[in-house]
Amino acid sequence: MGGPCRLRLETNEGVDATVAIAAATEEIQRLEHKYSRYLDSSLTSKINRAAGTGTPVSIDDETAGLLNYANTAWRESDGLFDLTSGVLRRAWDFKSGRCPEQSEVAALLPLVGWELVQWDINSVYLPRPRMELDFGGCVKEYAADSAAVQLRRHGVSSALVDLAGDMAAVGTPAGLEGWPVGIRHPEKKDAAIAQVWLPEGGLASSGDYERCLEIDNQRYSHILHPLTGWPTTQGLVAVTVMAQQCLVAGSSATIAMLKPLDEALQWLNELGLPWLAIDGELECHGSLR
Amino acid sequence: MARDDRNPTLLALTSSALLLPIYQGASADAPPEFTEVGVRYSRYKEDDILGRNAFGGGSERYKIDVAQFRMLAPVADDWSFALDVAWEDMSGASPWFVGEVAGQSPKVIMSGASIEDTRTEVSGTTRYYYDRGNAGLNLTYSDEDDYESKAIALDGSLNSEDGMTTYSAAISTADDHIDPTQGSVPTNTLSATKDVSSAWVGVTRIVSQRALVRFGVSYTYREGFLTDPYKFKDRRPDERKEWTLGTGYRHFFEEQNAALHIDYRYFSDDWDIESHTVDVAWYQNFGQDTVVTPFIRYYTQSEAEFFSNLADEEARYFADDYRLSAFGAFSYGVRLSHDLGNWSVNLDAERYRTDGSWGVYNGEVSPGLVDFWRYGVGLNYVFR
Amino acid sequence: MITLKYLTGLLFVVVLCGCETVQPWERGILAKEEMQWQPNVMEAQFRYQVYASKEASSGGTGAAGGGCGCN
Repeated sequence: MGGPCRLRLETNEGVDATVAIAAATEEIQRLEHKYSRYLDSSLTSKINRAAGTGTPVSIDDETAGLLNYANTAWRESDGLFDLTSGVLRRAWDFKSGRCPEQSEVAALLPLVGWELVQWDINSVYLPRPRMELDFGGCVKEYAADSAAVQLRRHGVSSALVDLAGDMAAVGTPAGLEGWPVGIRHPEKKDAAIAQVWLPEGGLASSGDYERCLEIDNQRYSHILHPLTGWPTTQGLVAVTVMAQQCLVAGSSATIAMLKPLDEALQWLNELGLPWLAIDGELECHGSLR
Repeated sequence: MARDDRNPTLLALTSSALLLPIYQGASADAPPEFTEVGVRYSRYKEDDILGRNAFGGGSERYKIDVAQFRMLAPVADDWSFALDVAWEDMSGASPWFVGEVAGQSPKVIMSGASIEDTRTEVSGTTRYYYDRGNAGLNLTYSDEDDYESKAIALDGSLNSEDGMTTYSAAISTADDHIDPTQGSVPTNTLSATKDVSSAWVGVTRIVSQRALVRFGVSYTYREGFLTDPYKFKDRRPDERKEWTLGTGYRHFFEEQNAALHIDYRYFSDDWDIESHTVDVAWYQNFGQDTVVTPFIRYYTQSEAEFFSNLADEEARYFADDYRLSAFGAFSYGVRLSHDLGNWSVNLDAERYRTDGSWGVYNGEVSPGLVDFWRYGVGLNYVFR
Repeated sequence: MITLKYLTGLLFVVVLCGCETVQPWERGILAKEEMQWQPNVMEAQFRYQVYASKEASSGGTGAAGGGCGCN
């Protein structure tokens, strides 16, 4: 799932924690095998291999549900949340520390566009060769929620699933109003800039500090704008959102990161979810401050 | 937060997310996820009959001890199987007939402590779950010294497209054999049979996010030896047609963390019996693991057209059985349920009292009316 | 008491006409154990058997099941 994953739980009398943990872990692995774009055997790879071949790939209810959710997020964000934008990573190699030429980016832009994707509840098809669907924008959050559901089903009433910062809480720790979650300082790797309390529900963070590229003092986010093919540089440095579902928290955070600063703050305010955002001056904004 | 105040974007995201199966919780039309096993012990004990109501002074009446076992298990993706077994041990005396001494009110003559019987019932139900409902097939076999019953039942449900309404139906038929062997009293038959066929249709409707309502109509046809073999003055028609009209309501109160159950049933048959039953229960949660449920029930019935305390044995049909007399019954009790991880414990007790004057129908008051206690303890385990 | 019967019929019509649509994801409360028609199956089995053997009426929540010598 790309990053450290942790599971914290308080055991109840009579509940077999090992069985609950095994079920949650198995659920996360199931989703990774199904949706990882790095695995040839995954459904994602199958869909991507079929791009432009003329043959749609059949999908199950769960995948159709995720596509439907992605469609809503795309519509509600005026195209900022786009599962096809992952293809831009071919130009952006965050490890090499090199900025791509505009021509390289421009060559990829015709492959980006959720509106091109042909999908319904039974199948999905990418009409242009080399187009790619990347569930990375929602599956980690969804996996956190799914693992939490498994824990609940197995009688666990207090647990926190943490998939590299995407969290889903089952209940609260004994005697506390929520789970203490440290929000990472954008510049100091192991320090927290703030601490928030997560009650039952989901929390997701998105930030430039993860896998970022810095050239000429300009920080390039790993979150690429689907319309320009470039990272948003005038926006937030990091944002954390809480929602009933980690899935909703995650896409809200992603959308906020892709908006210019003022617009992002206004959008988060209007959304009505608890949030915390950090701007380029390392100033904190939001209702969780 | 009021629904209308919510940001439209958040509303759109949340509702799309919640369409994903994992967020929808347990659906009624999915097999149970885990195997569940339960055992239970119950006791039913009738109050002694009062001296003023019986010849030969007060007498101990009936009691039943029951042990139950239940297992419900998922089988493959779309099936479940349930097995129910009950063992009952019955003993005590029951009214034999009602007699009268000039100048006194009628009194019951008890059968003496002569009844001692055991009953074993085995019931299996297999259920298939489809997209918009489920269907079950049930076979039940019950055996006691003097009685044997074989029954088969089919039921099915179908949800409307929007899932707001569920239509249900059930049919059943039973084939019973009576071979009186009990006690020293002469019996009304040496061997007889009776058949029972029944049909039910119901509609359940979601009223709001916290309320459900249900309506149902049933028809039952009984044919064969419907007379009580052990009652001295009992001769009943060999056919009986019964109708019921029922409704139920469930409402959850978030502030109190409790659910209110109200059920009402109207019953009518061609023996001229009519009855009303009202059940009210309050399921009060305490924390996540404990539920305490006080409940009350009121029942009233009219008498059968051939009922009389002093049966006219010249008539074509007659009965002095208190169960066919007009009376009212009031019962109350409490259930307690506590979860301990995969275990849960249930305790319950009920007090049932009858009186000729508590009913809404006029009729002769039978001296044989029964009051009883019922209590039980159960233990369940879920294999998660 | 007799009017209860007609009231039931009236309620039936009113309820079927006037319910707000409750979306599948808004049915969490309705799925709770204590909101089921019959939360404790084993207890109910014995309870209904007892009522049926001491009263002249029975049934109404489904098709009649198998009999016993008790009534």
